[in-house]
Amino acid sequence: MSVSDSEFPLKEFDASDHNLQKASLQKPELQETRPKKTKRKIDMSSKNPLVDGDSEELTDQHYEKLRLCAFNETWSKIEITIKDVLEKINISLFEDVMKWISESFKEIRSCRGEFVRELMLSYPIVTDMICKQIPTALILTKNMEFVDDLSTFQELSAHLKLNGCHVASLSSIDFTTKKGVGGCLRSLLRQLLVASSDAADIFVLASWYSEQHNCNKPIVIVIDDTEQCSGPILAEFIAMLSEWIIKIPILLVFGVATSLTSLRKLLPSDALQYLQSCQFTSESPQARMNSIIEAVLVKPSSEFIVSHKVAVFLRNYFLRHDGTITSFIQALKVACSKHFYTEPLSFLCCDLVDEDYEVLLAKKVESLPRKLLDYAFCLPSCEGKMNNGTFKDLVQGIFELKKTRRYWSMVLMCLLEVAKLNKLQLLDIFCEAANPTSFKLQSSSHLQAPTAISNTIHDMKIHGFGKNGFINRIINKTRDLQVVQLSRILKTWEGYTKEICEIQDKLKDLQTLLNATDNDTRLKQQLSNVHRSTSRFSSFSGKDMMGVNEKVALLMEGMVRDYMKPIECIPFHEIICFSLVDMLQEALIGDPRKTIQTDLLHSHTYIQCCCCKDKNTLLPSMHDTSIVFTLAQEHGDLVNLHDWYESYKSIILSSRTKARRKFNKSPASKKGKVSSALSDSSNLNEATIQARFCKAVTELQISGIIRMPSKRRPDYVQRITFGL
Amino acid sequence: MEGGQEQTREENADLDEEEQDFTFSRNYFLSKEHASGKKSTATRKLSDITLVDEQKLREAVAEITPKHEKEIKSLLRRYKDSYQQWFFQLRCGFNLLFYGFGSKKLLLEDFCNTSMVDNGVIVINGYLQSINVKQVAVAIAEVFWNQIKNNRKSRSKKSKSFDSEPIEDILSFLDREHCDDDNFVCVIIHNIDGPGLRNSDSQQYLARIASCSHVCIIASVDHVNAPLLWNKKMVRKQFNWCWYHVPTFEAYKVEGIFFPLILAGGVAAQSAKTALIVLQSLTPNAQSVFKIIVEHQLAYPKEEGMPRSKLYNSCRERFLVSSQMTMNSHLTEFKDHELVKTRKHSEGQDCFYVPLNTEALEKLLLEVG
Repeated sequence: MSVSDSEFPLKEFDASDHNLQKASLQKPELQETRPKKTKRKIDMSSKNPLVDGDSEELTDQHYEKLRLCAFNETWSKIEITIKDVLEKINISLFEDVMKWISESFKEIRSCRGEFVRELMLSYPIVTDMICKQIPTALILTKNMEFVDDLSTFQELSAHLKLNGCHVASLSSIDFTTKKGVGGCLRSLLRQLLVASSDAADIFVLASWYSEQHNCNKPIVIVIDDTEQCSGPILAEFIAMLSEWIIKIPILLVFGVATSLTSLRKLLPSDALQYLQSCQFTSESPQARMNSIIEAVLVKPSSEFIVSHKVAVFLRNYFLRHDGTITSFIQALKVACSKHFYTEPLSFLCCDLVDEDYEVLLAKKVESLPRKLLDYAFCLPSCEGKMNNGTFKDLVQGIFELKKTRRYWSMVLMCLLEVAKLNKLQLLDIFCEAANPTSFKLQSSSHLQAPTAISNTIHDMKIHGFGKNGFINRIINKTRDLQVVQLSRILKTWEGYTKEICEIQDKLKDLQTLLNATDNDTRLKQQLSNVHRSTSRFSSFSGKDMMGVNEKVALLMEGMVRDYMKPIECIPFHEIICFSLVDMLQEALIGDPRKTIQTDLLHSHTYIQCCCCKDKNTLLPSMHDTSIVFTLAQEHGDLVNLHDWYESYKSIILSSRTKARRKFNKSPASKKGKVSSALSDSSNLNEATIQARFCKAVTELQISGIIRMPSKRRPDYVQRITFGL
Repeated sequence: MEGGQEQTREENADLDEEEQDFTFSRNYFLSKEHASGKKSTATRKLSDITLVDEQKLREAVAEITPKHEKEIKSLLRRYKDSYQQWFFQLRCGFNLLFYGFGSKKLLLEDFCNTSMVDNGVIVINGYLQSINVKQVAVAIAEVFWNQIKNNRKSRSKKSKSFDSEPIEDILSFLDREHCDDDNFVCVIIHNIDGPGLRNSDSQQYLARIASCSHVCIIASVDHVNAPLLWNKKMVRKQFNWCWYHVPTFEAYKVEGIFFPLILAGGVAAQSAKTALIVLQSLTPNAQSVFKIIVEHQLAYPKEEGMPRSKLYNSCRERFLVSSQMTMNSHLTEFKDHELVKTRKHSEGQDCFYVPLNTEALEKLLLEVG
């Protein structure tokens, strides 16, 4: 393994083991490059490196540090938000489970009274079948993707611990045939006993539980992915626990991702009879997803947002690629980190929600070097609008950005209230609302035909959001709402739009109108009940209601038109909005199967040599593996080694004949070059060609593109990849 | 209108995806068809090529002058511009995974040497045949222990040994909150999809190591099917990868050491050679018994093999064995070394044959003789 002769001299590696090397590292002479993760607030009062006349490199490093700090701060806020949202969703389930645990524990304890004699024995012999049953909570997660529920079960464990239970979290890794029942017992003891012993013995647990300070609490075992456990091992474990239930009151909590039948298939009937089950259902993944999007992307509190294209990518990534909320959050985290790396001014947005953000922002902007300030006014969103702007302009621009963003989320929140009744997906509406092209189209049509709006109010074409767009569907929905729903929605809208008096006034008017109509309707209904002449009155009330609904729809339309300006239409939006969708895609979806083949087919694009430019022909100067791979494409699923080798050889040697031909024709000046090429190829003896071929085939094998010949077919290798 | 266009674009994307799937399956069936069509023509054998002796071939492989050396070096130099970004991503809490054609060993190590100046680095060579993941965890823990000890500038110079501690304790030590939370150990895993790590247990442990808060992983994959090693929990919750496409076109020098050369005498010659080595270590009598089987096989190539009774008679005629017992002991020896195999004759009798082709057998006879 000689690496020292390479381009990169390695620092000493003492190979203490063949497969493990510890690198001894030298301390750098230069500055510290590692930023402090724990540093929460960016101290802007510190000296500005550029003002002090430090080098540009140091300035870059300083701002990179600031951006990293800003990322840590922003992402930890998003993480906390997500955690809070999920906690809010889960809390009722957790409380139900806790209530069930206390009741079951009480029951077991009352049962214990009958077996005082058995309790004194080191091994309790209980013959009563009912007393041998273990209370088991089955939590149906309604989600095939168990990854999303791992955190739910972690939270549940924490909640139960907080409420005074002994909790052990086990998973399918503990219930494998390889580890046996001893494995899960060992894991259980590890978690419960502070000083763990290696002996996997239930007697140890029994003696631990009989200690004074332990015996008043129930022991809860949480298994998050029950379906993936080994059935026989789990059954054995259950049978063992049931023998001891009187002495050690254990309760089980099973996470069930599919249905109860899966549990019936997993466990034999004699194990099932030991379980005294109680069902719980957790919130659906859709509801979780909606709440997360609402809290993270829609609410104005977030300091980082994604562009329309990125939003569409995230939606497609969620729907087509993975389908887990976890992956969605991870994608968002990657987007966030990429944003803070690529956008030099991104650190400006990190305190946007603080109360004294104006002062903070002004301080931050004032300390910016001229280079960054110029950069800000050269952003694509500012081009042609502001030239040679000042610090104040930038601060003003960011304030404007913040205001627009607040208005945008305000209207979107109002829309979402109605969407919830329609069971529409939040992510779809979010994508549509963030689309800048729809907005531009909408505002241009608004300018062109201002009078037409009132006339063609039902014609949805005036909205750039598309005739069948989600936003139009929501507005239409307001036309069909019942009085109760409408009144509730108007109330929530009032809460969201506190900032804008104009809308508040309109809402108040609408509410009074609605109340009046409601009273009127009630009165008329009463009258109609008395007179039994329903047709006349009901038609009246219907018309009145339609009037209110229409007005609400109009208000909604106006709000969308006037206040829901997508962030991408505002100058300086690049500072808080991430839009590099390709970068995100590359970081998230590494597709080695396709990419490695493309690398080989287009090797010259990466190597960038002048000799292999011709894309359509195989040239002897090309990378050997690339030639061999391209040649393999001409074969079927089995590649005849003889043919493959011969064709490779002919390609490699083709330079010889070509070079000779050129040599005859070429003028004297080029002789030197050609003759060197000729000598190169003449050096190629049979051994070298075979060696090159062998090496190329080995590399294809390392890449997993071909499989070596089998004993049955010694003259063929098998292709594993077929097309890109 | 625009919304409509958007929709069409999305529909097109859908169609593209479908088209891709379709192309993939079509390619597969076309290649199958291609293969079956070719069967009609006489297949050529590897032995038709005049193969160079294995020793010479190995020497030639070692002496190959790489093509485009300069360009590859400049390609690697271009990646240096991304080091800053990679380091940023690493500090954001992601682990880095590099893929693309070519050995990434030098690139990764250079990146660590340039960027990880303050942290301990451990290198795992996944391309080797066997790797003890427990040892890896122990090594990481020891490096981390020394690191926090140095940072605290504590006087005790006692180094802690983690050898006897269970892996669970080591993992919780690496994940625990320490007073200096900024400390981390960087683990470079060359070929995390390599033969030594390609089992579920190793990957599970690596995933758990990767999820520890004081460990950063920088890994490379080379196999096209590498992502199949991980389930969603490992990918999303533990490894937390950020992918980077970095084709280097560097030769897989160390990675390919354990792979047999495809033209190294071919499979037949390889087994003939091993057969010869085994035969030479046997007694002359045993060699002669083997020769009888080979001669019979060469004389009657279409038969299932040499029946036991016939073999016994021939051996007795030549005074090679005196009893069934001695012949059986020879046969057991042959079978143990896979020199001879048995199959049933149509009449149910055991027949012995040598699992080599005619050419290899002829060569073997010459060499033994």
